[in-house]
Amino acid sequence: MTLIDALLQGILMGLLFALVALGLNIIWGVMDIVNFAHGEFLMIGMYTTYWTSLLLDIDPLLTLPVAALVGVLLGIASYYGLIRYLLRGPAIAQLFGTFGLMLFLRYLAQFLFGIDYRIIQKGILIGKSLSIGPFIFDWTKLAAGLLSLFAFAFVYYFLNKTKTGKALKATSINKEAASYMGIKTDKMNAIAWAIGGGTVGIAGGLLANFYYVYPTVGLLFVMIAFACVALGGFGSIKGVFFAGLLVGILEMVFPVFGSLVNSDFLGPHFKFTIVYLTYFIIVVFRPQGLFGWKN
Amino acid sequence: MEKLKDAFDFRDFSRAEQIGLIIFSIFLFLFPWLGAGSFVKAVMIQFLLFSLFGMGWNTIGGYGGQVELGKAQYVGIGAYTVALTMVWWNIPFWVSMPIGILLAVGYSFMIGYPLFRLKGHYFAIATICTSLVLQDIFANWKLVGAAKGIELPIHDHPDFLYMQFKSDTYYYYFIMVLFYVALFYMNWFRRSKLGYQLRMIKDDEDAAESLGIDIRWCKIKAYTIASAFVAVGGGFMAVYNLYIDPASVMDLDLSIKIALMAMLGGAGSLWGPIIGAAFLVPLDRFLGSWLGGHKGLVGLDFMIYAMLIMVVSAYQPRGIWGIIEQFRRKGS
Repeated sequence: MTLIDALLQGILMGLLFALVALGLNIIWGVMDIVNFAHGEFLMIGMYTTYWTSLLLDIDPLLTLPVAALVGVLLGIASYYGLIRYLLRGPAIAQLFGTFGLMLFLRYLAQFLFGIDYRIIQKGILIGKSLSIGPFIFDWTKLAAGLLSLFAFAFVYYFLNKTKTGKALKATSINKEAASYMGIKTDKMNAIAWAIGGGTVGIAGGLLANFYYVYPTVGLLFVMIAFACVALGGFGSIKGVFFAGLLVGILEMVFPVFGSLVNSDFLGPHFKFTIVYLTYFIIVVFRPQGLFGWKN
Repeated sequence: MEKLKDAFDFRDFSRAEQIGLIIFSIFLFLFPWLGAGSFVKAVMIQFLLFSLFGMGWNTIGGYGGQVELGKAQYVGIGAYTVALTMVWWNIPFWVSMPIGILLAVGYSFMIGYPLFRLKGHYFAIATICTSLVLQDIFANWKLVGAAKGIELPIHDHPDFLYMQFKSDTYYYYFIMVLFYVALFYMNWFRRSKLGYQLRMIKDDEDAAESLGIDIRWCKIKAYTIASAFVAVGGGFMAVYNLYIDPASVMDLDLSIKIALMAMLGGAGSLWGPIIGAAFLVPLDRFLGSWLGGHKGLVGLDFMIYAMLIMVVSAYQPRGIWGIIEQFRRKGS
């Protein structure tokens, strides 16, 4: 794989990462809660697409609305079933609470579907590739990248142009001031969780087109999402977009360098280690991230 | 001398707690003679080990209030130091164990210095990150056995220098001694200067700073103490299991379990981690072995585990000890 090839692939993956991180960032911004279960929401989105396309025998792309709906419902259910009660406790209880949710969903999936790695076999895009000049793209990845971009733009529009979106932003800037203006914090929190669940559900549906589905797939993606949020800056929607791209590129380009120097420690095994290290370095040296405004 | 006296001084606890501690100690001491099977013995060893881990975590996580989710990396450092020095140079446990502690302390200084610029969620996630990086390195480093792990050489005869025994009873008493050293240390620690400083930091960092407490340095000290505790447990795991790999001594699940047990029992109290371990270790083990026999029920044990975490976090963040204290206050 050449460098330019890796760069283009990285951009496509990065668009998907940005969509995954978007929901996490909105929840983080509005409520100051870290949702560890975010990766598990993604996993459930993936299973939703897998099973609906298999059982109803339809194309995986057509199952995206189902994945989004499941994500939204999951987000709302988590908020009203658990998160609302966690808000009364200290930060440590909130962390462990979402951690419990993560374990619960993961092992629920394992209980229901087993630990097998599954992949979608049938679909109009699967196995096909597009060649433009010297570059070859998998249609599945191209669609995932472009549809992620579309979903991201839609949420961006919603947050900046609609009344509800503006209320959500106001809550994330100053909860108390917003509630004096008649914005109901509880409702805003629920909306943040609904958007968070919905976007990550779509991301899961897209990812399932070319990635293995298994119960523990979430951890990797939630760590990537944490890195994106830290890199982009807490509460910054624009930031998380560029951070997603950056992480995607980093994760694809790094192994190319690794294969050039041929070392144990620069191989593809370490492409995610680099993501973790990036998170660490960014939060230590620039805690507000690249585009952040809140410390 | 004064410090030593403090460590054995349990007078500020209530009468019920003192009696509880005495009965518990007698039970621990007599346990191997009660005729329990090897499975129950193994569970007891696990319980003492996790109490040790939990008490270590309690310094930074409980008294200091910092959500630390990367303790497994220090378990790994302790375990790998003991295992590797034994395999490579045939160094006895009693020499490699202190080396392991020193390495863990040095590494925790190195990591702790940048780490404690962070607060809250950022800190919690960063501890996970450092732990995952170390696990990735060990899982791919051929020199230390990569993902396959290392087996310790087995001696024909029981050997005290290398901590190799035929019977679990010896391991049991060894970990019990470690457990009591940790308990007495923690009993001193909670009334030490650092202990009070940490609680002050937990309550209000700004107020603590205005009183002239060096917050970052206090946190680093507590973090280092916690790491040393955990590394001792890691060294014990290496000689007890005779086999280690990154998945068993460095996994994120281990970090979570350590923090979780302390929190479930009651973070920031002396008994908390012990109660948490006494509750979760048997639950984990018995559920695991019971459900393991039933195919198709895989994962159910962790689901019960996870539900418990959610319920406790939502209703009583101060854990089981918090519930007990709540009842006691109502009673009196």
